[in-house]
Amino acid sequence: MDYIPHMQTSRVISDNGLRATPTGYRIDVRLPWYRSLPVSTVEVGEVSIDGRVIDPSKVTFELEGCTSSLADMADQVDKVWFVLDSAYLIVETEAHGGGEHVVSVTLNLYPPYIRGLKRVSRDRKTLQAR
Amino acid sequence: MKLGTTLYALTNEYLSRRYSFEDLLAQTAARGTGPGLEVVGFQSIRGFPVITDEFAARFKELVAKHKLVPTSLAINADQEIRRGRVMSDDEMVAYHEPQIRAAAKLGFPVARYQYGAGPEVIRRLVPLAEKLNVRLGLEIHAPQHANHPDVVKYREMYAKVRSPFLGWIPDFSSTAKTVPPSFLEFFRAQGVPESLICLAMEIWYSEGDAYKRMMQYKEKARASGADEAQLNGLSLIFPMFGKQDPRSWLELLPEVVHIHGKFFGFDAEGNEEAIDYPALLPLFRDGGFTGYMSSEWEGHMYSDADAFQMIESHQAMCRRILATH
Repeated sequence: MDYIPHMQTSRVISDNGLRATPTGYRIDVRLPWYRSLPVSTVEVGEVSIDGRVIDPSKVTFELEGCTSSLADMADQVDKVWFVLDSAYLIVETEAHGGGEHVVSVTLNLYPPYIRGLKRVSRDRKTLQAR
Repeated sequence: MKLGTTLYALTNEYLSRRYSFEDLLAQTAARGTGPGLEVVGFQSIRGFPVITDEFAARFKELVAKHKLVPTSLAINADQEIRRGRVMSDDEMVAYHEPQIRAAAKLGFPVARYQYGAGPEVIRRLVPLAEKLNVRLGLEIHAPQHANHPDVVKYREMYAKVRSPFLGWIPDFSSTAKTVPPSFLEFFRAQGVPESLICLAMEIWYSEGDAYKRMMQYKEKARASGADEAQLNGLSLIFPMFGKQDPRSWLELLPEVVHIHGKFFGFDAEGNEEAIDYPALLPLFRDGGFTGYMSSEWEGHMYSDADAFQMIESHQAMCRRILATH
């Protein structure tokens, strides 16, 4: 619900959550919900850096050290994203490097006990790549 | 009636990583906002519903140290963990069983369940609940209420099964007088125009099913050219707050096993701004309810206020009302 912004349960991008890597960026993201959820109920929506939308095939989801393509997340019914943990979006992009960047991430949640609800959390932050 | 805290009220303190689960237990004790302690399994416990022996031992040690009383473990009816496919009854029974075992292992006398479980699934879980000595409490939350068709189905099942292990958990959101003014203030601060708020409130106060009223509101708001994000945000008032008479709980009272003392903010006199506690608390007390009520602040959805302080104020209000009414 991007219309209830700025609360813990709608934050997606962590403060100081951007790291430059040799092939792009690593973005630290939080689950914008009050409780843990199976990865299958989380969908990574649009990711953009400095206004450029990243192709979803160039984004990888990392949780507890394991990575998966965004498309494979829907099948991970037994993998739980614990609500206190960060996950990471590993973004492959040619235009990368340190300095300040505007990062935007949308996460769509489908809370599994509320049928038909798609909860959209869109977060945008200006971050210094570490 | 005894008081306590649900850690759900402290969601912001917890998610910000300023307070760990153990810190929240210590704070609840230090601030005197126990002794009742309610926990949301999937919020507080890594690996839930699996409870390791180590976690159970540590939890019991902390509860003893802080003189807290486990009251209710909130469990979830996650019927659609695979998107687009709803679990069968067999799968739902299997999904609930370890959560009820978790409640028993941690010493919670009540497992709060959700209506999405379905009456048949809960009926099938009664033998396990009896064996483990855990009562199953259906949380009745807005937009549902004591006489809502979804709840009536459970009432019919309860009447047939007649087990003392089947009960209710009233959440005061079903019986609000109005929408919390602090919530409307939040929308004003976001730039939502007064005309849209007036339209929403006019329809909120009208009669009828919550979802029908919400659809009616959305249609009218769209027709008036309201901003889509703003009108959707404000539409939350329909599922979040119901305006049933507090006395609607009376018929369920003998089987009430726990209460969610839902609250949002306070008026100048220190009373809850939207929920009629002076009507509600004596009704449960005089009806013979001797269990626990969790202070359940949900203002954390839209406010960064100090939840510890909110809970202290809530319990001070409840004690005052119980002493004077």
